[in-house]
Amino acid sequence: MATRTKDVQTDTEELVTATESRAPAKQPLIVPADQPVAFPLQLPEFSARLKTPAVGQRATRPDGRLHGLGQTQYIDDITFPHLIHAKVLRSAHPHARIISIDMSAAEALPGVLATLTGKEIPVNSFGPTLQDQPVLAAEVVRHRGDGVAAVAALTEQIATDALELIKVEYEPLQPVFDPLEALEDDSPKIHGGDTNVYTSKVIKKGDVEKALAEADHVFHRQFQTQAVEHVPIEPHASIASWDANGRVSVWSSLGRITLGREDLARTLDLPQSKIRLIGTIVGGNFGGKNEITNEPILAMLSRKTGRPVKSVFTRGDEFISSTIRHPFTMDYTTGVMNDGLIIARKIRLVLDGGAYCSWTATTIGKGSILAAGPYNIENLLVEAYAVYTNKTTTGAMRGFGAPQVCFAYESQMDDIAHKLGMDPLEIRLKNAFTEGSASPTSQTLQSVAVKESLVQASERFGWKEWQR
Amino acid sequence: MIKRGRGMACMWYPIGFTVAANPSAATVKVNTDGTATVLTGTVETGQGALTVLGQIAAETLGVATDDVHVVSGDTDTTPMDTGAIASRTTYVTGNAVVLAAEKAREILFEAAAPLLGVRPDQLEARDRKIQVLGFPAKYVDIATAAKHSENVLGCPSIGSATYNPPTVAMDPETGQGKPFSTYVYATQIAEVEVDDETGQVEVLRIVAVHDCGTPINPMLVEGQIEGGISMGVGFALHEEILFKDGAQINPNLTNYIMPTSLDMPELEVELVDNYDPTGPFGAKGAGEPTAVPTAAAIMNAIFDAVGVRITSLPATAEKVLGGIMELQAS
Amino acid sequence: MLVQLKVNGELRSADVPAETTLLKLLREHLGLTGAKLGCDVGDCGTCTVIVDGESVNSCLMLAARAAGHDITTIEGLANANQLHPIQHAFEELGALQCGFCGPGMIMSAKHLLDKNTEPTVAEIRDALAGNLCRCTGYTKIIEAVVVAGRAMSSTDARP
Repeated sequence: MATRTKDVQTDTEELVTATESRAPAKQPLIVPADQPVAFPLQLPEFSARLKTPAVGQRATRPDGRLHGLGQTQYIDDITFPHLIHAKVLRSAHPHARIISIDMSAAEALPGVLATLTGKEIPVNSFGPTLQDQPVLAAEVVRHRGDGVAAVAALTEQIATDALELIKVEYEPLQPVFDPLEALEDDSPKIHGGDTNVYTSKVIKKGDVEKALAEADHVFHRQFQTQAVEHVPIEPHASIASWDANGRVSVWSSLGRITLGREDLARTLDLPQSKIRLIGTIVGGNFGGKNEITNEPILAMLSRKTGRPVKSVFTRGDEFISSTIRHPFTMDYTTGVMNDGLIIARKIRLVLDGGAYCSWTATTIGKGSILAAGPYNIENLLVEAYAVYTNKTTTGAMRGFGAPQVCFAYESQMDDIAHKLGMDPLEIRLKNAFTEGSASPTSQTLQSVAVKESLVQASERFGWKEWQR
Repeated sequence: MIKRGRGMACMWYPIGFTVAANPSAATVKVNTDGTATVLTGTVETGQGALTVLGQIAAETLGVATDDVHVVSGDTDTTPMDTGAIASRTTYVTGNAVVLAAEKAREILFEAAAPLLGVRPDQLEARDRKIQVLGFPAKYVDIATAAKHSENVLGCPSIGSATYNPPTVAMDPETGQGKPFSTYVYATQIAEVEVDDETGQVEVLRIVAVHDCGTPINPMLVEGQIEGGISMGVGFALHEEILFKDGAQINPNLTNYIMPTSLDMPELEVELVDNYDPTGPFGAKGAGEPTAVPTAAAIMNAIFDAVGVRITSLPATAEKVLGGIMELQAS
Repeated sequence: MLVQLKVNGELRSADVPAETTLLKLLREHLGLTGAKLGCDVGDCGTCTVIVDGESVNSCLMLAARAAGHDITTIEGLANANQLHPIQHAFEELGALQCGFCGPGMIMSAKHLLDKNTEPTVAEIRDALAGNLCRCTGYTKIIEAVVVAGRAMSSTDARP
């Protein structure tokens, strides 16, 4: 082989023909304990991950390891060169017309690189069912969490300071806060038209009035639930960044990126192929991170400034601007025979539907279907209405109406048991679904396990033996 | 005086969107050493979905959980997914992963069959082997099959598939229809102590028995149940957004009281032995149902303890005490 | 304003505005993003770090106040050779779901276990009362702290 000098050639030939290795003996690697490393040398191997078959194993999570090391990159942990920060100004009124927005003082603040109002957004509306919610309110604000204007600045502090310099002139409009008031004819119509009811549902089976008349006992009660928030420990966060090819990349704490990309394409009037939406590991969702929030705003601010833009909700923003659970007002009228058999149930649900539709259609659908409980009831009427109010947008929250209706139907079940002198377990077993039962919508149910769960739970609890 | 009470609540909850299409797509690629990659458009929101989807793919391919790497959450590189919502991921995305992995596996079977002298439909994938049904002594390692398929035959083992739960639209007048493919069921029983002089309620213990079909990863299902119960306890007793003139007056964690480690009762969690043939390896789901019956169970326990029927949540000490005093007056 | 302090055994320094919190110093100036910003007002505990052996909400402590002191963050828990027993137990028992509360929770647990490796469940609940978790219901976290404590009392001293 050709080499530069004869000595090197000899060395090479010797190496090639040598039968024993001349590499120094392998020393174990010792890293002093006080030297930082990316990960420890001896990592545990948890056997459940290594076993077959895989289903049923208590496998540990690879992301769990990174969580414990503090290495998981949530959106707020991600940074890019030249990253700037955005903040959104929220409405000063629960219901008002926007007369004017003066951004000039905010724009003049040193460190502010761009501002944005709703008028600049190509399609300023979104929503999973009804696109009734603006990205940034341009004409009317309908709750105090409505975003009105946005600012991008070199630091979060400057952006926050700039918000205070934005001058918005409002014409307050009559608000309505109580859903029952919002049902009335003379209530202000938050989205125009002649009613604040924006979605409703009916489920009807058999003849509920006739059955109620025939029942041995009729129970009636009204139940109510409150507004609660998801409180994900990680607040909503997103970053938007354009590249030189006119593609925008968005990192977001959204739980659904396919539909999020559709929303971005629609609001920004862009082809989907020009949008990349990345869902990082999210710090808790519970239903509140299922819609776009600031993403289109950040995309536009990024395009205006030529820099990546990040925004993170404050904890206050989480409460007032992200969605909350629907308060339900529920009227339950149930006809029962002396032996505890439920023969009729009439239910009226009024959902406080907040300022915008969000996931209300899904909530009212599920809530209505589930409202009668896991019980065989042949005569059923469920009527449900969702009403706009000038309060925080009500959306998807763990259960979509199920926790609310369960509170009602299970409370009433014990009222019935108490009146009839029956054990709460017995009355449930008497009425509960079995395999093949018909649901309230006449679906034949399969893989049913209500009674099994009742019996198993009672045995585990020691229900029969329990002493006060 | 401290009064003790117990209360139960059972519930049912659906998997997936109400009637509406909510598909998931998945891609499974088997590497030439028999390990695999899953591509899914879902997002890990903390519940452990990626681990579960990995286990489902591993089961289909006959390999271990650690042999499968799951890639998620990028519209550029992962296929569509309706999202981590409505407790649908294990069932809908899981079914898509099974179907995709089966397609990838079929390519391995086609490659292995002539090597073993049998037809592809005589093969199964187990314990990292492609072996003959009923005669496991005749097998090739999955790595051998994958390498042969890709490098010799030129057929890389890859499969893509989609799944959408079958539903029937609901009649607009009567709501009759088949809105969901499947449901899960559960019972929770709470034991409480009520101080009848202050109305203060303490939840001592909750027994939770949940149906999720086959638990793909029982540790993660337990995690969902325990987490769901903590949200249920908050919903029952402490959490409330207070409005005045449309403004929230407690938009902070000092005055919005969510459960801390001090508020959680002792939990006993069990799963019902169940199998849903429409789900991946019999699995259904667990994310939301866990938070559904807790408040009802606690309210029934309060009723059992002091005879007060709480009709509006949360059951604050004021409401409970008010109820106690009303009973004493009458 | 120049702030110098020891973080995870290393001498670090940064030039920061006077109103910078220890949390912002760690996250934005020292690249240690383990401690999280969940509320910025000391309600949620995701920013918990250990300062001179005491657990502290770093969002409530000014960086200037921390100057010259000894800070331990989640990044300093595992050593070059092994995970900390708390990290090991949390992973093994599935005590971390979304993980966002994790670093703060683990630091609070470390603070407890460094003083007492055999705490009662009531003592554990008490020690973790300032760390909010929405995913786990705290159950597996408490189990993991018990298991970690046992591991810590049976092995040789760890930093």
